[in-house]
Order: sequence, then structure tokens, then C-alpha cells
Amino acid sequence: MDDSRRVERDVTADEVKIAARDVQVHYGANHALKDVSVDILDKTVTAFIGPSGCGKSTFLRCLNRMNDTIASCRVDGRIELEGEDIYDPRVDPVQLRAKVGMVFQKPNPFPKSIYDNVAYGPKIHGHTRSKAELDGIVEQSLRRAALWTEVKDRLGAPGTGLSGGQQQRLCIARAIATGPEVLLMDEPCSALDPIATAQVEELIDELRSQFSVVIVTHSMQQAARVSQRTAFFHLGHLVEYGETGTIFTNPSDPRTESYISGRIG
Amino acid sequence: MADVTASPPARPIRDSGGTTLGRRHRREGILRAAGLTAILLAVGMLLLMLGALALSGYQAFTQTHATIDVPLEPDLIDAGNPAAANWRTVMRRAGEATLPGADAETLRTFRDILSDGAQYAVRDRVVADPSLIGTTLRIAVPLSDPYDQLHKGLVDRATPEANRRVSDAEIAVYDRLAADGRVGARFNWALFSAADSRFPELAGLRGALVGSFYTLAICFALAFPIGIGAAIYLEEFAPKNRVSDFIEVNINNLAAVPSVVFGLLALSVFINWFGLPRSAPFVGGLTLALMVMPTIIIATRASLKAVPPSIREAALGVGASPQQVVFQHVLPLAMPGIMTGTIIGMAHALGETAPLLLIGMNAFITAAPATPFDSATTLPTQIFIWADSPERGFVSRTSAAILVLLGVLLAMNALAIWLRSRFERRW
Repeated sequence: MDDSRRVERDVTADEVKIAARDVQVHYGANHALKDVSVDILDKTVTAFIGPSGCGKSTFLRCLNRMNDTIASCRVDGRIELEGEDIYDPRVDPVQLRAKVGMVFQKPNPFPKSIYDNVAYGPKIHGHTRSKAELDGIVEQSLRRAALWTEVKDRLGAPGTGLSGGQQQRLCIARAIATGPEVLLMDEPCSALDPIATAQVEELIDELRSQFSVVIVTHSMQQAARVSQRTAFFHLGHLVEYGETGTIFTNPSDPRTESYISGRIG
Repeated sequence: MADVTASPPARPIRDSGGTTLGRRHRREGILRAAGLTAILLAVGMLLLMLGALALSGYQAFTQTHATIDVPLEPDLIDAGNPAAANWRTVMRRAGEATLPGADAETLRTFRDILSDGAQYAVRDRVVADPSLIGTTLRIAVPLSDPYDQLHKGLVDRATPEANRRVSDAEIAVYDRLAADGRVGARFNWALFSAADSRFPELAGLRGALVGSFYTLAICFALAFPIGIGAAIYLEEFAPKNRVSDFIEVNINNLAAVPSVVFGLLALSVFINWFGLPRSAPFVGGLTLALMVMPTIIIATRASLKAVPPSIREAALGVGASPQQVVFQHVLPLAMPGIMTGTIIGMAHALGETAPLLLIGMNAFITAAPATPFDSATTLPTQIFIWADSPERGFVSRTSAAILVLLGVLLAMNALAIWLRSRFERRW
């Protein structure tokens, strides 16, 4: 239990963005996530690692209530975003998702123009009053997603015509255009080649200055490269959570050590 | 053992015949031949049908007219109220003017040769332009059906007189008119501009075209929004449980219910219970909407299902509400498929006859409906009426009406393809 003490120390050092307590997720009769308690810090990249089916994506989708769309899914426990319970009946998941953006495994731009892809979020949330303001948000979001120079001359071209890596950066631009405070990324590089992956990873590192980023990844090298904190999930349990360096060099749980050294997975 | 692995048996890549490879090629050849035969057979049948229709229908697109001279005497026609004149007498004078010196028998035959509608054609012309009164009007009027047939060569003059519809004396009068250069065929505008009539030469499809238009418009106005609404609810919002399963099974069953059953339902509910008018396109539209709705629901659900879930996730992920996800992302992508399903349903509705017979849309109605609540026929029921009529002239008109129906169908499909290509988007 040294581990929990270290978490507490960090909590005092950094601001907690999302606090999850005893989260349980059931898919019908299947108990997918058991007693997960995590504090996700602001302006930090947190990586969720673990073998397939361990519940890391499920937990990620709890954080912006994307699991609501699955009829058989039931979430218990408490998840607070800046002290507010996001599963409170008075919370509108639509508002929540504007604050907690998400990037998916497969690039999924809308079959619309590059401009409309980025402008869609600010438009539906009524963030802008004028076209010029919207143009500004689009440009700023594309710049932050390191895509502006590549697409600034063809904003009217369909987003689906971009390359895979560009599409994923477009999706990141779309997610940050709504002005989120947390960015959830569900294996954002699994469909990308190494060069595009490197670009996205660099981007994640820059985004850390403004957002709290949570990334699910299968690549432990990626977790080690981009994250400051890492959580290891196994069979629905959160096995270990702590600073990335500690998790990778000196894990306290034997299961973490086995996974990292490639013995289970 | 070592030998075998060292030198595997030679496997030529060229076909030496008689091997399994040869059999495989033969099977493929048979499959291709069978497919080609099936297509040729289908195309052949279609051409045969269209050919037969065109062959028997083309003559209905022309109508034999006679050019007659009508003296418009001011003592017979009151310029203040020309419509009230005794047009029978006017036509009598026209006979004398057109066939000068003819005897009474010839003049009676002359009036027989002209269609019953001839006097109305003259009347309408004069009512439209009363300044003609006092002059002699030269006008082309339709011939009645037997002489139309005679002109088109469908009456064989070699047939014994007793077995012929026109006597030798009547043919003589017709020949005199023809010899004067007064008889000729023109395009049969009446086929499109006139409503139904007892007389083939006056009968047209206007009533049926307008009736079909109203019926389909009401069918579309009801079935399209309700069908899409039901499909969206079932596909995107309804909880998946026994109730929605039950509804789904029943919608699929409804699509397979024979159309005549919908007619019976409409008769007992819309007409007998609600007291809606008989033969009205409004009731026809309601009936066909019931019939088409399951088709639209099934097609819409299928195309909603075909929209990739990643698009829904993307929209939800940026904070779109479920309603925004459906209307701004899913529905536009599903639109081409919805269009296809709708057009199949509407084409089905356009050709549907049985339920309309039961609600009285096969009545004999000689005016095009002004509103959807007036009595009317539709194209298929008009074809049904004409096919049942004994007059010789309706034989070709039935085929012509079928060709018109197919033409309308083709136009509708062309519109659908155009709409679909406009809505088509890629992802």
C-alpha cells in the first residue's frame, strides 16, 4: 500500500481533474470493471495500459458517459469532474461531452468538409456568435492539432479524403474545437503508421499544457513515451496506478511486472 | 520419406485436360452460360411484352379526323349566348355544306360517321371565339370509332357486309369524304386531354392521370414521413425488447399482406366507418399509404443500420444530442437508401389496382377530379375499365394506357435516380 501514499502525495502536488471512486461496470451479467478508484490530474497525460478486454476502454468511456449509448451497460460508483458527479441525473451528457472530448481508435471524420468537421462542435454548442469567430476557432484548433499548414488551402475539401494520420489529427482538432478540459483518446494511434504515430504523440505532449489527456494504448513504449502517469488494468481491476517511470521501472504488483516484461497479455 | 520432401511431384500449371482443373473450368462455364441465358430470357420476355403493347397500342396515339365545313348562321346561333344554340341543327347544316347535293340517307350516315363529340368541338370553338358567327367554319372533328377503325385498316372490306360493323352504303359515304381529301389521322391529343368517355374516340386518360397524381401525392405525404419516423424510432431510440421485436415482426408481416386485404380494410374503415367519399383519390391515397409504409420502414431501417457506428460515436463524442446525431449525421447518409426504398414503394403504389377496385375507383367518371375528394380513377383502374369495354377502339387504347403507365413509372424512377445521386455522399 505504498502506492496509495504516493498517489496522495501527488494529489497535493497537482490539481485533481477527475476523481473516480469504486466504479463498477456491468454489461448485462458480465462484470466488466470492478472497484476502480483513480484520480486523474489536470495538465497531465495519463495512460491506461493492460491486455485486451481488461476494461481500460470501458473505463475511458465512463468518463464522458459514452457507455450510456449501450443499452445493457450499467455504471455504479462515483465519478467526479472537478467535484461534480457526472452521473448525477441533472447532468446533461451532451454538456459533459463538450467538456470531456474524445478521440476514437479509428479516424472517423464526418463525411463533410474539413472546415465543417472542426466547426461542427462549436456550432451545436453555440460557442460562436459570428462567422469570423468560428473561422478563428477552426484555424486555432487546426493549428493546435498541427494540421493547419497541410490543409489551410483546402478547408472545403472532404475530411474523408485526407490520409489516415491527417484524419486522426482532424479528429483531434474537432475534439479540441469545443474547448474541452479533458481529452480522452482510445488507442488513437492503432490505425496509424509510425510516422503519423510520432506526429500524434508529439501533439499529445503539446496538448498537455492545456488539457488533462487520458490515453488508452496497447503499446507500452507509447505509454512510456507520452504519459506522466500510468494505470495498469487487468481483468477488470485497476492493478496499479502511479507515475509512469515508477510503473515501468519498479512496479509494486507482480502482475504489472509480468505484463510489462511480456509474460502476460 | 526424405525422397518425397526432396522432390515433390511435378504440378504443371498448364491444364492437361481431364483433371479436376478441367472439371472446375467446365463448371464455371456452365454457370456463366446459365446466367447469360437467364438474362437473355428476361430481356427477351420484356421486349416481347413491350413489343406486343406497342404493336396493339400505337394506333391509339392517332385519331382519324374529318375536316368539315360548318356554316355558322346567325339565325341559329345567338351571339350573346352561343352555348345555348341548337347545335344538332347546326351539324345538320354542316352535312349539307360539306356534302352538297347529298340525299337525306347520306346526310344521316354523315352524322353517324362523325363522333358524337363533333358538335361539342364546334360549340367550344364558337364559344371561345363568337366573332366566327356568320362565317363558315372549317374544322377537323374526330370520326366515330367504326370509321376510325376503317381508316386505320382494321375493318376488312372483303368481309361479307352482314359480318361488318359498317355497311357498304356507309363505306361509300366515308369514301366520298376521303376522296374529297377531308379524312386524315392526327395525333390523338384527346388521349391526354380528355377524361373517360363511352366513345373510344373521345376517351382520354386525363382523369386517370390526375387521379393517380392525387392518390400518389397523398400516399407519399402520409407514408414517407410516418414511415421514416417509425423507422428512426425503431432503429435509433426504441429499447430492444419483446415489444419492439413484436412490432418488427408485424411490420415485416404487413409488407407481405396481399394488397386486396388493404382494400377491404379501407372499405370497412375509411368508407363505411369514417364516412369518407367513395372513389376518391384521398381514400385511395390512404389505402396505398398503409400498403407502402412497411416497405418504406424496412428500407429506411436497413439504410440506417448501414450507416457506420463510428459516425454516431464521432457525433456523440463532440457533444451532439441523440436527435442531432440522427438528423445531422445518420439520416443524410441513409438518404440514398431511403430514396430507393421509397421509390420502390411508390412505383408499387402507382401500379396497384386491387385495393382501389374495392373502394370504387373503377367508376365511370367523365371529368377529371378537381380535388382529392372528387370521384376519380387511377391509371391502373382506368386500364381495368377499358380492358373490360366492348368497343373495338378500347383495345388499342388499353395498350396505349399501359404504355403511358409505364412511361410515368419510368419518369418516376429517373427522378429517383437523379435525387439519389444528388444525396449520395461518401465516407
